This record gives sequence, structure tokens and C-alpha cells, in this order.
Amino acid sequence: MILRRLSSRLGEQRVAWLLVLPTLLILALLAVYPLIWSGMMAFRVENLFNPKIGKWVGFRNFNYLLTGDDVFWKTIRLTTVWCLVTVSVQLVLGFLLALLLDTRARVVGLLRTLIVIPVFITPVAMGLTWRFMFEPVTGVLNYLLEGMGFSAYPWHTSTDTALVAVMIADIWQWTPFVTLILLAGMQGISPEVMEAARLDRVRGWNYLRRIVIPLIWPVITVVLLIRLVDAIRIFDIVYVITRGGPGTSTLLASVNAYTVFQAGRLGVMAAYGFLIVIAINIVVIFFLRILHRQEKAAREKSEA
Amino acid sequence: MRSPLRKVLDVVAVFVVALYLAPLYWIALTSIKPTVHINSKEPVWIFEPTMEHYLEAFDRFEFGKALVNSSVIVISATFITMVLAMMAAYALARMRMRGADTTSLVILSLRFMPAVVIAMPFYLMYQRLGLIDSHLGMIVIYVGFGLPFAVWLLRGFLLDLPRDIEEAARLDGLGWMQILGRIILPLSGPGIAVTAIFTFVFNWNEFLFALYITQSTAVTLPIQISKMIDLYSVLWGTISGAVIMQLVPMVIVVFLLQRHMIRGLALGAVK
Repeated sequence: MILRRLSSRLGEQRVAWLLVLPTLLILALLAVYPLIWSGMMAFRVENLFNPKIGKWVGFRNFNYLLTGDDVFWKTIRLTTVWCLVTVSVQLVLGFLLALLLDTRARVVGLLRTLIVIPVFITPVAMGLTWRFMFEPVTGVLNYLLEGMGFSAYPWHTSTDTALVAVMIADIWQWTPFVTLILLAGMQGISPEVMEAARLDRVRGWNYLRRIVIPLIWPVITVVLLIRLVDAIRIFDIVYVITRGGPGTSTLLASVNAYTVFQAGRLGVMAAYGFLIVIAINIVVIFFLRILHRQEKAAREKSEA
Repeated sequence: MRSPLRKVLDVVAVFVVALYLAPLYWIALTSIKPTVHINSKEPVWIFEPTMEHYLEAFDRFEFGKALVNSSVIVISATFITMVLAMMAAYALARMRMRGADTTSLVILSLRFMPAVVIAMPFYLMYQRLGLIDSHLGMIVIYVGFGLPFAVWLLRGFLLDLPRDIEEAARLDGLGWMQILGRIILPLSGPGIAVTAIFTFVFNWNEFLFALYITQSTAVTLPIQISKMIDLYSVLWGTISGAVIMQLVPMVIVVFLLQRHMIRGLALGAVK
């Protein structure tokens, strides 16, 4: 009733905007405003514990990060390696797993539900579980390794292996995410296409390469976009397993930002965050362009 | 008829999935093991199950308080998010609105914002407003954090409804409220449920904002669990009990969502 009276008086356009307005206002206040604030802080010296010393300093924070801070480039390098390794392993494993689960057998339906449990589980809780299994002396993983005749592995406790350990935990958690979405793409392939492929005797590797992969390519692009952005932002699982250590061996971008925050150097932290935002924007724009182009190509094809 | 190869693969699939979830059995098993067996080098398989770790989590680590905090914060935030998101999504998806697509994209783009960048301004803002370590402060953050995703997902579900429903209903003489209450809401019920569950999951698992903003009064479960390891890194029994209690609601969620999961995870962006 209210809506009808409103819309007859105001017109549908205005009612629509009225409905969206609360969301827009809240997002402006809770997302855009802090973002701008953070952007401005990047050009100031600010200390968490001594607010009086704040002043504008131009590009000094960026200058410090890019030239004066030894840790900075290491965190960039670690984050890049992290993104490349975890995302590509997740993509390959997730794809294989999706192939394995792409069938109509009833048992497999249940398996499909079970395999996504990791995606929903709290990363902090899972990080602790992995840390428990990684324990060098009493952990179950080293027990298994030694039982199979290998020597014990130091996992999260050594600077050489900590990154690998955290990567394993992350890959375990997010591979099923990739699987689930690729599976949706695979099950969207029409029976006619499969039948035609069968008649043309396209099977095995050729079937994958010429039918499956091209057809689910847009889905793969979306998965890559989501996973890459999340990989750049990764925080909880790393923080809980290693706190960025030992030393700085797992000091990924968000973890480093938190350390800088704890040290009270808000300006430097803001500048660092600014760089993370730029990195994410580059990834998002790049992938959205690809998606846009795919969509356009598909439209042209269907018109032709 | 399935080919013999496919049958073999199905069996392989069962084994792979069973093995994949091994870390979960291990932590579940640990949570009911007597402490003496937990830190032994040789895994112990036969033991008398105990609930002591669960009780200990409540007694010594204020697990109950964190559980209440998490529930209050997450449920309130999810409810508010859903009300706002439904209004916005309905307008964006089903009303004549100029600029609806652009507005949707702007809202979606906020979903990709790194939490670490806005956590610090929030901290400073909350310091001035006295909202540090408060339930209200956490609810406000989670509403802002969850809205873009919820709006986008709901909009996707609403767009899927047949295009002319409202027009047809209007021709049948139904008013706005009746159209909403009798047609749109029932039809989009599953979409609303799925969006609410996803919003709940994100908030329930959220760690970074909680780490910046909470100290003791408003600590959420993930924070409380991560604190346990700082203080007593050898108490794996208690930690595993806490971990299991934190995980169980999420496992239930997985079974509730079932086939709707894909939609939510892919952000509805696949189409």
C-alpha cells in the first residue's frame, strides 16, 4: 500500500532510488569514506600512540617504502610468489578434482557436498588445525613422513619451509572452491555438444582441450579473478600459523600492514595499503576487460 | 550405461574425497582424546573418549562469552544487511530505474576492497566515537562489509524471475504490496535464504576487522581461538575442542546450502 501510494505520487524512478539510497549512504560512509581517509593518511606522518605529531609530508611515505625499507620489497616478492603458486596449484588441482566429480553417479553427488566443506570452514580454525599437524616433534605429518622413510620436515618452524607450509594450508582450503565452480561450468555443457563430440570420436585429451576447456573458459576467468584478489588480500591463515615469521619468511602484504599498524606508523601503513589497492585494481580491471571481450565475442558469434 | 573406466573413476573419487577431509577427522579425534595421548609421538588410536577439552574451553578460555558475542554480532549484522540489501536489490533488478546497471557495478566493485586498507581508518574513527571493542561497532563494520556481496547476489536471483510477473499481476488487479508479498517474496525465498546464509558465513569467519577492533568485551570466536594459542601453545586438546565447536555450524551450513552453493560462491558473476 505504502509503496503504491508512494510510487503513484513520486513515480517508479524515485521510489527505486529511495530503496537503493540507504545502501548507497551506508557504503559511502563505511567503505568509500574510510578509503579516502586512508588515501589521505598515506601523505601524512601519523602515529597511533602520539597523535600530536601528525603533519603532511607529500610522498615521503612512498619514498620510504620504495627506497628506504628493506622489508618492503621482500613482502612484495613474497606476495607475488604466494599469488602465483597458490592460485595456479588451486586451479590445476581444482580442475582435476572437478573432472573426477563430473559424473551422474549418485554417490558422487554426496561427495560434491562433502568436498566443499573446507571452503566454508573458518580459516583461523583450519590454520590452527594445520599448525597442530605441522608440529615438528609431535605432529602427525612428520610421523607419517618418517613412517614412509622420509626425514622429518620443519614445516612452519623454519625460514626455508614456512611459506610452503602455509601455502599447503591455503591450497587445501580453497581448491574445493575452484572445483565447485568449474564443476558448475562443466555441468552446463549441453548433452547435444557431448553427443556430437562422441559421434565425431573426440574423446580423452582432445575432448578436454577442444570442447571442455573452451566452453568453460569464462568460468575459469571468473575463478581466477576471485582467487587472485583473495590471494593478494590473504591474512587470517598466515597470521594464525606463523604471524609472518619465522623472521620475515611469510610476511605477506596484509600481515606486514598489521605489523606496521602495531608499530603505530599509520602513514606508512596507509601508503602500503594504497599500493595493495592499486595492485587489486590492476587485477580486477584486467580480468573484467577479458570477460567483457569474451562476452562480446560470444554475442557476435551467436548473431552471425 | 556407464563405462568401466567411469566406474573406476567413481571409486577413485570416493577415496580422494575421503582422504582430502583427513585433517578434519584428525582434529575431531584429537578433541576427544585424553591429554596424555595428544602429545605423544606415536598417534594413539584406541582411547577412552573424553569431553574434558570442550569443558575446559568454556571454563578457562571464556569460550561461552566469545560464542555469545559472535552470535549477537553476526546475527544482527546479517539481519540488517538483508533488509537493506533486499530493498536495494529489488529496486536494481525489478524496477524501472535509470542507471541501475552502473549503480550495481559500483556496489560490486566495493566487494574487492582489501579489508586491511579500511581497518585502520575504522580504528581511528571508532577511537573518537568510543566504539572500539563494542558489539555495535562490530555490527556496523560487518553491515558495510557484507552489503555489496548481498546486494549483488540477491539482484542476480531477482533478475532470474520471469520478466513480466509484475505486469501480469498488475493487470490482474494486484497492488504493489500484494505483488511483493504474494509473488516476489515467495518466488525469491530460496535466493533470500542463500544470501542470508552466505552473509552469515562471511561474518562468522571474519578475522581481520575483529582483530583490529575488539579487545576483550566484544571478542568474536576466531579471535578467542587464535588467542588461545598465544598463551598456551601446548594445549592442543582444548584448542581442537574450540576449533570443532567453531566449525560445526559451518558444516551444517554446507548441508543446508547444497546445490545453491555454486551460485553464491561465484558471486552470480558467472552468467
